[in-house]
Order: sequence, then structure tokens, then C-alpha cells
Amino acid sequence: MPEKRDIEINSRADTIGLMDMDVRPYPVTPPPSYDQVKPVYERRKALEFCDWAEDNLRFEKRYPKDEALSGLRVLDIGLWRLGHKFCASLFGESGAEVVSIEPPSGDPLRKLTPFGREEYLLTNKLTGEKCGMEFVNETVNKHCITLDVEKEDGREIFKKLANNVDILIDGMPPGYMDNLGIGYRQLKEINPRMIYVWIGMLGQWGPWKDKQSKFGQWELEPFASCANAWVHNTGLAQDLLPRGKGGDPTRSGIWLADYVAGGQGYVNALAALYWREELGGTGQMIEVTGAEALMDILDFDITWYGFNASIKARSGGWDPNLNQYAWNPCKDGYMMIGGQTDKLWYNIGFCLERDFTQFGRLIHEDPFLKEMGARNALHALIKTYTLTTRWLRDTNRVEAETKLLEYQLAAGPILYIDEVCEFPHFKYRPWVYVHETDYGPLLIASSPSSYQVRAPFRCKWMGRDLGYDNYEIYLKWTGMGQNKVNEMKQKGVI
Amino acid sequence: MCDIIWCKKEVGGKPCDTINYLDPYCFWNWEGKINCAECGTVYYIHMIQGFMYIGPEERPGEEPDIMPLYADKPFDGYSNYRPGVEGRTRPYECKPRAQLKGVADMVKFSIRGRPVRGWRPQPPSAGLAGSFAFNWDIQKLSPEVWEEYQKKLAAGEVKDW
Amino acid sequence: MAKDPRVTNIEDLPGPKSKGEMEEWKMPYEEYCKKIFDVGNEHAKPRPLKGIKWLSCTMYIFTPHSVANLAELGAECIKIEMPRMGDAMRHTSPFNECYLYPLHDTRPMTGTGLGFTNANPNKYFITMDYHIPEMVEIFYGLVKKFDGLTELYRPGTLDKWKMSYRYLSEINPRFIYVWGGGFGYGPKIFGGSYDILGQAHAGLASISGMHEFMGGHCTKQTNWVIDWQSSNLITASILAAIHHRRKTNLGTMIEFSQVQVPTRMLGHTTTMYGKFGIVRQRWGNWDTQLAVHGIILCGKSDFPDAENPQDKFDARYAMVSAFQDADFKELCAITGMKELYEKYKAHKDRVEGEAQVEIYSALERWAADKSRSEVCKILNNAGLLAEPVRNDREVYESPHYRERGTVRWLDDPLFGDMLLHAGYSSGLMEKSPRRINWHWRPVGADNKKVYNEMLGIPLSKIQEWYDKAYI
Repeated sequence: MPEKRDIEINSRADTIGLMDMDVRPYPVTPPPSYDQVKPVYERRKALEFCDWAEDNLRFEKRYPKDEALSGLRVLDIGLWRLGHKFCASLFGESGAEVVSIEPPSGDPLRKLTPFGREEYLLTNKLTGEKCGMEFVNETVNKHCITLDVEKEDGREIFKKLANNVDILIDGMPPGYMDNLGIGYRQLKEINPRMIYVWIGMLGQWGPWKDKQSKFGQWELEPFASCANAWVHNTGLAQDLLPRGKGGDPTRSGIWLADYVAGGQGYVNALAALYWREELGGTGQMIEVTGAEALMDILDFDITWYGFNASIKARSGGWDPNLNQYAWNPCKDGYMMIGGQTDKLWYNIGFCLERDFTQFGRLIHEDPFLKEMGARNALHALIKTYTLTTRWLRDTNRVEAETKLLEYQLAAGPILYIDEVCEFPHFKYRPWVYVHETDYGPLLIASSPSSYQVRAPFRCKWMGRDLGYDNYEIYLKWTGMGQNKVNEMKQKGVI
Repeated sequence: MCDIIWCKKEVGGKPCDTINYLDPYCFWNWEGKINCAECGTVYYIHMIQGFMYIGPEERPGEEPDIMPLYADKPFDGYSNYRPGVEGRTRPYECKPRAQLKGVADMVKFSIRGRPVRGWRPQPPSAGLAGSFAFNWDIQKLSPEVWEEYQKKLAAGEVKDW
Repeated sequence: MAKDPRVTNIEDLPGPKSKGEMEEWKMPYEEYCKKIFDVGNEHAKPRPLKGIKWLSCTMYIFTPHSVANLAELGAECIKIEMPRMGDAMRHTSPFNECYLYPLHDTRPMTGTGLGFTNANPNKYFITMDYHIPEMVEIFYGLVKKFDGLTELYRPGTLDKWKMSYRYLSEINPRFIYVWGGGFGYGPKIFGGSYDILGQAHAGLASISGMHEFMGGHCTKQTNWVIDWQSSNLITASILAAIHHRRKTNLGTMIEFSQVQVPTRMLGHTTTMYGKFGIVRQRWGNWDTQLAVHGIILCGKSDFPDAENPQDKFDARYAMVSAFQDADFKELCAITGMKELYEKYKAHKDRVEGEAQVEIYSALERWAADKSRSEVCKILNNAGLLAEPVRNDREVYESPHYRERGTVRWLDDPLFGDMLLHAGYSSGLMEKSPRRINWHWRPVGADNKKVYNEMLGIPLSKIQEWYDKAYI
């Protein structure tokens, strides 16, 4: 425990050091122990299998295990967006050697920080260089080098780098690389086995291809999710909350389409690699866009339009396909409750009427709510969720979860990030953990692909100073010695 | 009472006995006047975090600020007012089509006029153990739909998009 | 090289090697891209995962779609469902309205709901009751021939039936076994999981929706996004495992918990809490790290007379982005907010919370007498980035997706004319593209094909099993 000390807080800036991990240790309460979890396994008579699973899958055993893609070389060039970064992170997590190219001025994402507050930039403990948290989180196991491909020397060096990579990820605007003479059609001449993955918002070609403003500003998320109806379909109805006060189409809190495109970029590239290695194929060009990759997983929405000209409307925390399957406000936040089949649906009623007898009466008596399909009608949702919330307003999330789980229902609170980080199951796995980085210990989310018998994904390092790996990578990938690198630095190329 | 207003107003010698549902997202924090969907009695309510902090208080002669979305009558076999009954419940506009059915829509043609198997019942056509081939012989299985399709083709109602 | 140094061969020179290639080099880049992706001719090109065979013991969206990705990439995939019932997802449809018939022949009045769409294309559908020991033996026969499987049962369930990785890896050491579910080993191992639970539990809901001071609430992401994105990441893990197997000849087991996926995608949220103790909140349609970069409400609808309420009332939103200094200056100039430019010249000033409230309020006042398309037109003409928030109809009618083949009609072999927005949209591939052959098939539609043609079971036996409801 740190010592007690007197402090004076006059502004937000005074609080910064007081919250760091060495002062305010994580977790606040210790994770559950195996002895606490064992009875859970035993109750379902699955102890032997669960022990086997823990022995073979545990997160803590990831480092000694093999890496799936070791030996694979991946080159990543791009700015601003998370699509190409997440894709390259996946390659890094699965063991490939990933090199990310930034211009000598650095990726502008390094400078982004919530509400522009510079005190929330991370500081490299050794060098003092600052970097934004978003950039650090999506720079997993990547070697960071700098190169100005707009200069002739830079292009020559880029060609050397690209000469012996397996996969090149291009996160630049449409045709940018091609104009410079270092795009797919030029590079495939020198490296015909290269898999070239372009990742963007809407496309490198086509009537709605990615645009830039006349001042050169890029399109970033949520432009992609606005273009595929995702935003239109998300949010609360104007009939429930006034427009401009929550009853509007709503974007995701994250740059969602970027993550989806990054994931599919990885999937497609690995499939292309399999074709190249196993089936005698060659290199090829792949193009993944956020708008389309997110449209790929937009449930049935566009198909629905083709069926009977329905245009999906937003439905807030309620799902129009299932009743109950929603979250609603409760005493201390929001509570998600799910149970659609008769058995589960009535179980919700049995649970709620213990505290709120009217619920059972008004819901179970109503002849219009007896049939499962009919319960999905709009007015049935309104009635059901009004009465459910009447119970929830007197119940906090923990009470609600405890009571509903007694009835074998799927129920879970909306957790805020502090609660996510302290959730016992998440700590046990762990899904968030403290990772030592150049910026000191950071609380990060682990990779969901880390739980494997043989070659789990893993984070080894996160973030890097701008150009940290210049000497090493230029030496190994192009044979350029340090004097040459320094010379290029002076010329502003590196 | 909160989150619902169970109107007990005497109307024509009988209590109104209508439940007006105050849908949670709209009324979670709300102050103003709302009418009963059945008898039109206006109530003032002030809700904070789902609690009826003040009300429901009758405000005779005043105009409501809002109407309920849904109301029903438990003593009348749960007869109800669904959203959008003029003067009683407020309209619900955020819908995928102007009119929802709430039951399976029997669709024989897609929006560009080509047959799609969206109606029931379908004549049996499976082979061994429920096996199906890789074609739908609509001409043989549903000749009336095939006919209709031919007419659509002739009338130029079948489009590429 | 030509032997005679005076002879120049075109092959020896740098640059294009033939007239065709010369033309390709001179082609505008866009045209070149269009040419190489050659939309519509996917089936003439090789399948990247040819020869891979996968079993899908799955339900709902999350686990089925992890196999659907493989099926689109050309793997041969068999989905195993419970006899007569099928996947529970077949019984979901928006507002109970849209079904395609039949579910299978003995239930002509029951259909498969649109909720089932896009999670199972190209799969073969068989039925099997694992509770019958005789069928487990048949299942082993499939395992010997297949590369892997994806399943979603409560942990330990398939172990009881001797169908878990522990048993199957002895039959086929190259077998790749995926369990997909909510939580995995640990105190909540037996907790059921839904997409919405993942959104709620893992932090995504807490940062999506309008802020409390705007009067808003947490909102669900419209699609079952955690089911879908988790399935994509399962496919990513499977492909990595297949590559690992190429080197080692060993299969593996992957335990994948979908509730973890949203947390992984929260960007700086977790780190900011850890280091600075700050609990990130919702910030509506704006961006916490960029300004101006948000969605604004315009005064008028683009289609005030349309019949569909989504066109009529909701074609009113525009995404406006001008966060770089020059863009912001121009935005202020064109919208008459010059004093705001003077006040918030520096990005770090205008991205502050209070500044964002002031700027977006001013923008919405400016847009109050304009339609969505007017707003976009004015800003686009000034060289700025602004796009309408589009709805499903506009996506369908978009020339962009049509030209790229990412929205197209599919003549489904059994269900007829169905619009398709998946598969082709998950990425264009020049030489070994994805493809969709069918949306889905009825329950047990491929019983004969698989049991007889693949496993050699006599037809009479198949009929017997079917009569006993084993399949």
C-alpha cells in the first residue's frame, strides 16, 4: 500500500498522478480463487472436464505456447483509422512479424486524446514521448518505423520493404499508393506472391468511394456506418424520446465499422494465404470496406427490404424480434432481461410478481399476450416493458440479477467500465489485466483468441515511440545500415 | 401508482378503470400533463428516475401535454387502445412500414416482381428423410403462382432491380 | 536475356510485358480495380479454402456465422440440427411478419424467419440426435473426414456424450475444435449468453447512446453485432489454427467467449479507467476525440411525402466532419459561425465537451431550415465532408453497392428471389473470391446427400433413422 499523504487539489491536473496504477492498485477486490470456482463446476457434475479445460486453455499459459503465424511478414501503412490497425494487430497477436509505417511526422491518431486533454496522453517512461491511448491500444506487437513515401528515396525504400513481405495492409486513401507508383499493380511485378489488403470506409472505386475534403481531410468512422443504414437503424424512437434529446438515429460509441473491416481483412488475407501456400495460388488484391463489412453483418435488414419493402426502424434498447429481450432503466442504471419462450417468459413474471403482484395479474391475464409470436407486436412490447420497468425502478442491478438468475433467466446489468474491470468472471479469466508497457503498467483488454490449446493469440507489447524500430527493421528488411538510415533521417525521408 | 395510471374517474356512474401505460424511456424523467385514453381526464405528473414524485393529480379543464402510447381495460377483457388512436393515444411513427401486420405476411413476389417462397402452405416436395434438391419447380408445385408470374412478365412488372 | 545484346526483348525491360499489360498500367486506378475484381464472375475463379471441411453444431447467429465465413470462402460445411425442430433462430422474424416456407416438408405451415438470414449460407443441412449412441458413432465417422467443428453447447455437455475435443482429438489428431459461448471457464462458466448480454455486460452499451444531460439513454447497437463480430473473430482464430496445423500437423481447441469481444473493441476506454480512474460515458452522435465530427439533425426531411415513415420522418440526419483547422474554418465561414472559429481555432479547444455542445447546437440551428440533402450539398460544394445518414432503401438503391456487387439479388435454389447484402460484402478478393450459392436450406435437406453419398449409409437405414426421429 502506498503511504498516506496530504494533497491539495485545485484543478483536474492535480488529480492525474493520483489515479495511476501504483497509487490505486487494480483490482480493488481480488479475483475469485480456483477454490471458489470449483463448487460451480461440481454442481453441474462437470468438474473433470472443467479442470481439463483450465489446464489446457488458461490465459496464463499463453506465452510458452507456439505462435500460429510465426515467420509471416506483414507490412502495414495507413493513418487515422482503426481498420488497418486492428487488422495488423490481429496479425501481431497471432505471431506474425508486423511492421507499421508512419510518416516522419507520425500518425495523427497518436495525438488524439479524449476531449483534447493532453494530460491523458501516455508518456513513455524512458524517452518522455507522448502518445494517445487509442493509438497505443490498437498498436499490438507492431514494429513502428517511419518513412515518407511521398519522397523518391522513400518510395525506393518502400519497394525494398515490400519486396519480401507476405501481406501488405494499405490503409491510405484510394489510389494514393498507385499514384506514387507503389500500389498493387506496380508491386505485384516485384513480389507476385504478395497479398495486398486495402482497408477503408466505402471503397477505392465506385460512385461512393472514399473522399477527402478539399483541404485533404479524410473520411473517418462513423461515415461507414452512416452509409450502410447501421446508424439509421440504431437509437431510440422519436416516439419515446424527443428528437434532439435522445430520440434520434445514433452512432456507436466506438469506431465500429473499422473493427469489423479489420477482422474481415484478417480473415480474407489468411484465406488468400492458404490458397497461395496450399493450393498453388499467387498473391492477389483484397479490398475490405467498413461500410460493406458491417453491412455483411447487418442482420437481415436489406434482405427484409427486398421481401416487402420494410425499412428497419430504430428500437432503442428493445429488440423487435423477441419479447423479452431488452434493457430498460432500473434503480441504479440499466438492466438487461431476456426470455422469449413461454417457459422463460412466464418465469420472468413469476419472479417479478413476488415484489410487484400487479405484474403477474396484468401480464399473465391478458389474452393478447398468451401467444409467443403475438408478444412481438409493438403494443405488446410497450405494455411488457412498462410493467417490467415498474419493477426495475425499485430494484438495483445486483438485486435484479440475483432474483432473475434464480429463475434460470438470462439477465445482466449494463456495466460501466469500472464495473467491467471488477466483474469477478472477467478478473478470473482475466479479460482485463495489467500489462507492462513502455508507458508503465496499463490496464488492457486481452485478446478473445487467447484461450487455445496450441497457438493462442497474445499481446506482447503495446504502442511504441515513433520510429522506434527504424534501425532494426531497415537493417533486417532492406540491409540499410545505421549511417544510411541516419542520412535518410536528415533528408526527412525516415 | 407509478409507471401506469389506473384511471378510476367516475364516468356515467361507473369507474373508468382504464390503465394508461407510461412507457419507461419517455417518462423516466418527465413533468407535465397526460390524458386518460378512455375518459380524457387530464392528470399532472412529475416523475424523477421512474418515481412519481408528484401526482397523478387531476387537472380538470386543462389541455394535456402528451398522450399515452398504450392503454387497456382489465375489466373489459383487456380491450385496448393501441398507439395512434386519434385523440386517445399518441401516434408511433418510428415503424418500418406505414402499416405493420404483426402476423406472417404472405409474400409471393419480391419487390422486383419475381417469385419468392414466402407463403404457406407449400405442397410437399421433399425426398428421402426430408431431402431437397437444388431447384424449386414452381411451375409444377405452384402453377397458380407461375401463371401470375407469366402475367407479370408480360405486363413488364418484373424488373432487374 | 536475349543472347544477342543488340536485340531487345520486351520481357527484359522494366514495366509492362505485353500490350494487355501496358493497357492495364495506363488504366485509371478505379477502372483497374473494377477490372480485377470482375464482379459477377466470382464462380469462375478458384475457392481459397477448397478442400477444407467443417462441421457446424451451432445455433443462433454467433457460432453459425463463424462457419458461414468458411463456407463463403469455399469450404464444405455441414450444419447439424435437431430433427424436426432445427435451429431456434429459424423461429425469429421481425414483428412476426417475414417467413420463407417450408421449414421442412412435414410442417408446411411453419417457415424459417428472416432472423436466420446470413448466418448459414452455402451449408448443407442434416439432422442428428446426439442423445442416441448409434448416432454418436456416425458422428465420429464425420469427424474422421473433417478438419474441424464449431459448437455452442454448455461446457461439458458434449464431453458427457464423448464428443468433446478430448475424445475427438484421439480419433483425428488434426481436428480443430471450437467452442463458442458467453463466458468460458471461470465462475460464470454456465451463464447463458445473448448478443444483447454481451453488449450490456462488457461495456459497449455504457458508451453508446445520448448522454444523460442530453436526455438520452444507453442504446442497443441495431444488429446483433457482438454475435456477428465474435463470429468473424472465431473464423480468424480458425484460419490461424489451420495455418499452424500446416506447420505442425496438429489440431487444437479454441475456447471463444463472445462477452469478451466488446471489451477488446473499446479502444482507450479500459486504459483510461486504469490509468486515470475515469469512467467513460456516452457521448451521443459526437466524437470524444475529434470535433467537428458528428451527426446533426436537419430541419426538413428529404422525402416529406413518402409513404414509408422511415423516409418521411427520418431522412433528416447528416454526418458532418471538419475537424482539421482548415476544414473547421471553412465550415464556420459557410455556416455563419465565424465567432466560433475565432473562439475555437485550436482543435484541442473545440473538442472540449462544452465547446462541442456549443458548436453542434449552432450547426443544428443553421440546419434548422434545411433538408438533409441541402446541408450535404452546401458543405460538399464548399469542399467539406458531409454525407446523409442513409436507410435500408437507400442502401438497396445505391449505385455504389450495386456496381461493387455487395448488394445483389440471389436466385435462391429453393426459396426464390431474395436480396443479398452479405458474403460478397465482407471483402472483394481478386483471385479467389467469396461466393454465395444459397441463403439456407430446409431442416434435414441434405440428409440423403451426406448420410448416403458421403458416409455410404444404405437408403433403407436412412429412412429407418428418419422414422425413429434419430435424424
